[in-house]
Amino acid sequence: MSSPANRRAGGVGLAALGILAISQRAYVTLWRQPVLIISTMLFPIVYLLILGNALNRQLRAIPLAVVDESGNVLAAECLRGAIALESGRDLLRITPVSDREEALRGLRRGKFRAVWVLPFGLSRQGPVPSFIGDNTDRFSFDTVEAALSEVWDRASTPGGQARAAPAVRLEAYPYLDYLTYLAPAVVCLAIFMGSMVSGGLQVIEDRMYGYHEGYMVTPISTGTLVAGHILAGSLVAALAGAMVLVAILIMAPLPVVGAPAVVASLFTIFLTSLSIASVWFLLFARARRASVLRGAFGIINTVIFFPSGALYPVESYPQWLRAVSNVDPLTYGLKAMRDVLLRGAPPSACFAPWVFLATFTLVCGILTRVLFRREI
Amino acid sequence: MIPSIEAEKLTKRFGDFTAADDLSFSVVAGETYGILGPNGAGKTTLIRMLTTLLRPTSGRAAVKGHDVVSDKTAVRTAIGTVSQAVTTDENLTVYENLSVQGKMHGLWGRSLSGRIERRLKEVGLWERRDQIARQLSGGMRRRLEIARGVLHSPQVLFLDEPTAGLDPQSRRAIWGMLEEMTSSDASLSIVLTTHAMDEADHLCDRVAIMDRGRFLCEDSPDALKRGLATGERVEIETDREIAAPDREDVLALGAVNWRSVIPQVVQFQAKPGEGVGRRAAQLLEERGYRVLYLTIAPVTLEDVFFSYTGHVLREA
Repeated sequence: MSSPANRRAGGVGLAALGILAISQRAYVTLWRQPVLIISTMLFPIVYLLILGNALNRQLRAIPLAVVDESGNVLAAECLRGAIALESGRDLLRITPVSDREEALRGLRRGKFRAVWVLPFGLSRQGPVPSFIGDNTDRFSFDTVEAALSEVWDRASTPGGQARAAPAVRLEAYPYLDYLTYLAPAVVCLAIFMGSMVSGGLQVIEDRMYGYHEGYMVTPISTGTLVAGHILAGSLVAALAGAMVLVAILIMAPLPVVGAPAVVASLFTIFLTSLSIASVWFLLFARARRASVLRGAFGIINTVIFFPSGALYPVESYPQWLRAVSNVDPLTYGLKAMRDVLLRGAPPSACFAPWVFLATFTLVCGILTRVLFRREI
Repeated sequence: MIPSIEAEKLTKRFGDFTAADDLSFSVVAGETYGILGPNGAGKTTLIRMLTTLLRPTSGRAAVKGHDVVSDKTAVRTAIGTVSQAVTTDENLTVYENLSVQGKMHGLWGRSLSGRIERRLKEVGLWERRDQIARQLSGGMRRRLEIARGVLHSPQVLFLDEPTAGLDPQSRRAIWGMLEEMTSSDASLSIVLTTHAMDEADHLCDRVAIMDRGRFLCEDSPDALKRGLATGERVEIETDREIAAPDREDVLALGAVNWRSVIPQVVQFQAKPGEGVGRRAAQLLEERGYRVLYLTIAPVTLEDVFFSYTGHVLREA
């Protein structure tokens, strides 16, 4: 029995083989279900295209009623400015309306998004133009209001008076459109999806179908079981994240990317995957039904993805949301990737996020080990 | 010599419900021990306690001398399990399933591949090693489960309803396989649960009959059958329902353990050689019944089960 052919690994060797076995199964299972891989990788890219284009576009052709009660030179100057906004930026669709009441009726019926009244006796000292806008859409309201204020400012500035010199405005990095800004967020989304499919779902499915019984009666330690599941979940997530990163590098050329930035990003992807997979496993350490995952997915997605600063800067969040963001592993993964991919920072800029991600994974792993029950 | 299994007053309660009640027994090396009982008798609970998957509420049990609560790793090293659940992954091939399982037991390299080949040949799946598990038939999948359970050459193999839901041909194949395993490895102990009487009779050296969490009796199948005061099993089918007074008269002839699942069929036991079966058939004919058939055979484990529990198996 003790011949080399029958020798068995123990201790660290057994742990390594156990982790290898769990990972092997996760990988093979995933490759045998191509629909799962495609949806894992396609979803974030579609998300990028839809969200990027939905949020990135300039406002166009906002219907505006202009009521010129004044008819003086200043009013004509204002009208010229507004028409310039229509024909130039295509921001407005102007309809001249003779009666203020009629214009307001149109506003209430949704025919116009705003009414601009140039009152009788319009002058620099007053009366000045009135802006009445549809504030149910705050974004359009603010944009049109700001544009028309600027038109009034220009029109009301005396021709001979020198304008103040514009403030100095410099961009620290090459031009980035919103789509490119979103790219690291999409990688994170791919990680999130990948870890859910191969981490969260796998753990619950194993319990539901009884596969986990096969693991539980083997001599590998519970710590190895937990580590193996986290690693297995993270490898698939990291693969999804890496493939999406490559797709983005091809599709949306990032301004400053070199080999060190790509390597640092890949390592960030791996650590982020580990941390997200550890969250899934911690959450489902005791769950037994897939319905738990279905119920939890929306909440987890919201709690992990949105506070990370993926779509809007973290700086815009209220204090309590900042607190969530501060413990969200995606925040750190995103920051590291944005630093090296968009800002051209050296890989050393990632050290702090890496330390956070590794610590986060370790803490989740230990908690899971405590919660995990090796019983039926 | 250390017994393969030693259980003492093993009990498991789930709230107010006692699934396993004060169970004591032992299994020696090389023995095949059957736990026979209907669904819900507590067989699976017992197996789960012995395989470290459930913590006993009280009592103790040891597998190869290792306590199932305090020395779980040693127990897990010594045992192999084939549970009722399908524990092989349907997305993996036959070979990959065993490869994953082998690594979990610390096997690798040539040692692992050699064992996989040997076990797959034993269960007749070597030719199908590259087939995805979900494409296998129920019987083949079960054989794969057994190969998985014995891959690492356990000292004690636990089989929980190994042939449940299989057709007779597949059951026979699995029985043959298990018999070959025990004959090729004299020290291998097998504990199997079943609700199939013929399975326990065919495979087991000793059988414990279990019902409602308790062991009712324990002995070799032959001794259990001999232990019944009666040794003959009589079955008579008549052309119509047998009335209660007629039944009383047949019982008076020496029939015991009367069973009447179908109204026009009676089954009972009687002492062998006294002609009770034939006389019962004559009596029924004299009362105007037409006897369609009469069967007289030695008692089975099913009769033993009935005599101890007073009811037939709830599941066939």
